[in-house]
Amino acid sequence: MPIAVTPPHDIERWARYRLILRVLGQLLMALSLALIIPMAISIGYGDGELAHFLTAFGLTFGAGAILWLAGRGVTAELRTRDGFLVVSLFWLVLGALSGLPFILGPHLSFTDSLFEAVSAFTTTGATVIVGLDRLPASILWYRQQLQWLGGMGIIVLGVAVLPMLGIGGMQLYRAETPGPMKDEKLAPRIADTARFLWLLYLGLTLGCAAGYRLAGMSLFDAIGHSFATVSTGGFSTHDASMAYFHSPLAETVAIVFMLLGGMNFAVHYQVVRGRDPRAWLRDVEVRTFVSVTAAVTAATALTLWLRGAYPDPVTALRDAAFQVASVITSTGFTTTDFSLWPLFLPLLLMLISFVGGCGGSTAGGMKVMRFVLLFQQSRREVRRLIYPRAIVPVKIGGRVVDQRIIRSVWGFFAVYMTLFVLLMLGLMATGLDQVTAFGAIATCMNNLGPGLGEVARNFTTVNPVAKWLCTLAMLLGRLEIFTLLVLLSPAYWRR
Amino acid sequence: MHYRVILRILGLLLMIFSTTMLPSVAVSWWYGDGAAAAFLQGFALTLATGLVLWLPVARHRGELRIRDGFLIVVLFWSVLGSFGALPLMLGQDPHMSLTDAVFESISGLTTTGATVIVGLDQLPQSILYYRQQLQWLGGMGIIVLAVAILPMLGIGGMQLYRAEMPGPVKDSKLTPRIAETAKALWYIYLSLTVLCALAYWAAGMSLFDAIGHSFSTVAIGGFSTHDASMGHFNSALMEMIAVVFILLSGANFALHFTAWRHRTLTGYWRDPEFRAYLFILAAAALVATVYLYLSGTFASFGSALHHGIFQAVSIGTTTGFTTADYFNWPGFLPVMLLFMSFIGGCAASTAGGMKVIRVLLLFRQGAREIRRLIHPTAMIPIKLGGKVLPDRVMDAVWGFFAAYVAAYTLMLLILMATGLDQITAFSAVAACMNNMGPGLGEVGAHYGELNNVAKWVLCFAMLLGRLEVFSILVLLTPAFWRR
Repeated sequence: MPIAVTPPHDIERWARYRLILRVLGQLLMALSLALIIPMAISIGYGDGELAHFLTAFGLTFGAGAILWLAGRGVTAELRTRDGFLVVSLFWLVLGALSGLPFILGPHLSFTDSLFEAVSAFTTTGATVIVGLDRLPASILWYRQQLQWLGGMGIIVLGVAVLPMLGIGGMQLYRAETPGPMKDEKLAPRIADTARFLWLLYLGLTLGCAAGYRLAGMSLFDAIGHSFATVSTGGFSTHDASMAYFHSPLAETVAIVFMLLGGMNFAVHYQVVRGRDPRAWLRDVEVRTFVSVTAAVTAATALTLWLRGAYPDPVTALRDAAFQVASVITSTGFTTTDFSLWPLFLPLLLMLISFVGGCGGSTAGGMKVMRFVLLFQQSRREVRRLIYPRAIVPVKIGGRVVDQRIIRSVWGFFAVYMTLFVLLMLGLMATGLDQVTAFGAIATCMNNLGPGLGEVARNFTTVNPVAKWLCTLAMLLGRLEIFTLLVLLSPAYWRR
Repeated sequence: MHYRVILRILGLLLMIFSTTMLPSVAVSWWYGDGAAAAFLQGFALTLATGLVLWLPVARHRGELRIRDGFLIVVLFWSVLGSFGALPLMLGQDPHMSLTDAVFESISGLTTTGATVIVGLDQLPQSILYYRQQLQWLGGMGIIVLAVAILPMLGIGGMQLYRAEMPGPVKDSKLTPRIAETAKALWYIYLSLTVLCALAYWAAGMSLFDAIGHSFSTVAIGGFSTHDASMGHFNSALMEMIAVVFILLSGANFALHFTAWRHRTLTGYWRDPEFRAYLFILAAAALVATVYLYLSGTFASFGSALHHGIFQAVSIGTTTGFTTADYFNWPGFLPVMLLFMSFIGGCAASTAGGMKVIRVLLLFRQGAREIRRLIHPTAMIPIKLGGKVLPDRVMDAVWGFFAAYVAAYTLMLLILMATGLDQITAFSAVAACMNNMGPGLGEVGAHYGELNNVAKWVLCFAMLLGRLEVFSILVLLTPAFWRR
């Protein structure tokens, strides 16, 4: 009788899975440490949430420790391909466990707490909570902090991991990633990159918080909102969001830091490292991002004023500038309910959230760079029709872009559209009307926050199945779709 | 640019087109409906304009280049669309405004089937016949466009079909090749129409209705002689006849040609596009039937089945006949069917939409991207029916897809800027651009209530969709007009 022998590469595979578990365990334990700050706040404000946070801490740390123990002592090297699994698990597991304080504290259902936590972690900013102003201070802080931590994860994902995995043309950024380039191993490179970028992220957050404080916010609100601004998350500590403060100054600070958060952090890095602000101007993507934002702002302000939605052009411009910056960076702060704006404006704002910010930023959406490439390529197709024999390369900033990258972008675009349509139909099948379903999926997939119709302000009235679909949409959008899709293909699990 | 040759061709086309108003005169005399004068005036005006264009350049001879094809194709549809509106404007009943008449005429010639007319049942017979005939003529034009011209121009990956075209392929001159191809395909088109009319007649339609509906069935148009569309006849048999002929007309006419020439049906099944086409429609019909039955929209499974099948096929192939108020169906069904019309029928058919082949290629490419993420260094070619596709074709398909989505979004925003609500605007642009017909919301039954700006935008949408976006986009670039 033949003896079944596990082939060597199978042993290696299981070793790598255990290693992934260990990494996950470490991340969970690190995340649980972040709960110490809300605990301190709970003690300071005496809001009675301490016990809940302690429980959540215990559970998260415990789960992390178990995973860590399961993978202890394994010697294996992670391959690039394992990145898909690590990234997906990171967002799934951390999203799920981060919901604990919401279940224990404000007694949200499991669905709601998961929705809220994933929304925070993916820096979407869609909420199922109404009555924020009456929530315990520590819970409010925790929500803001989750977005900030999510933002940290996204920067590393966007600047280091996605270019390496080559998702949707993001290999374009490979050359620009700071840190040791030649090294093919996953861990050291990411750690190096992360250190550079997080310092930058921290600096931006501090600057933003100082700006808010000067504009008149309380210290608590200033820090809380700076978390949600730089991470382009959009959670607020008030139901009225930014409108609560009635402060043009605070709105200006928000616009500046939302836009900074929506730009490629690798470009920020060049600016800081080289002490050269012209690096922003040199970058095609940043230039396009800023000009699109300006153009849409002008069109919006003009329409609002001409339609008489606002009495004078200045207030129209103020709300238009804030709302456009908030939506295009997929932050989702609001100073007014833009879903009630006249004519095509609500839809226009929803549509620009598809464009989103730059690659390698905390923003969501399909990213400006991809649209630049799609536009260039479409223009080339028109030229090819006129000159069928001409060779017309696609260029970005003077450099010829590899055909393979462009095809990845196309694939990304088509899959994004297809999933959008399918999820929207799914939402309608649960009984939502068309406008709400459209707005809800657009806002979740682009990691924006506010939608249209029923979900213009929050997701409280939506049925649980729809909430699960929206949660899936947030994760799909954040992980640039292919990260999750790859895991669904059998070929990934072979060998 | 060979403007004089183009003018001569346009003049000729107009003169030929003017004669197509004469059958309506005959219909008018037969029924004594008093609309003959409008058709005679329309005939005279069109013929005269054609002569004026043709006479000065009648002796001019010159070869057309492939590039001139873009201009001819766009002129063909827009000029004929405008002149086709004449009888609708000149008559007493209906006496339509310029906007409405042009909308109706373009909707006919592009085989869209969106109408601004309410009260079809009270219209003169000759006008009804004229509308149906417009669609049928439009269908003839589309087949030649799709089988011969678009592959030659290479729009949106259609160069894929160059090799499969019937007729002398080596010849790169425009005129003889098109004439050859056209003759073969029009025989098929005509036979389908005759068969369809006979079947309708046998199923109990009046001869007038049978011919009229066969015109709009085979053209994948969707105009009807009754406000209630196919629902007027309330006959499952007729609906199934319609389904069969819609399915045939939505298939690649080159397949019909091969089947007819070689007397074999295996070509259909071997064609990946045809298989995908049937599969997609069957899936849509299944979902529609099950959902209609479970939601209790129709009491019996039988009626849910035939309404589900008919509506899925009619909307999915962009015909646009209706048996029920599909736009009032529950839940996601109307929107799902509307999205199906984006896929549309096969390339080189009379159907609209983006075409099954393109969607199929996009799907293959999406799957390849996933495999490439797992095996970054692997070379994975995209194959269709065993043949490797050139990357250039794929690029063109992607460009087409992006341009389609961008044009759609832009027109949607413009329509909302004229004051339409989101659902109406969303569905109106989709229904017109995909050359389908009925939309949702305000435009579920007809387009009569829309403002004039919206109607003109939708006329443009119908042309854009029918001419595969790029024919018109190319004309908008300065490079096209140079030299």
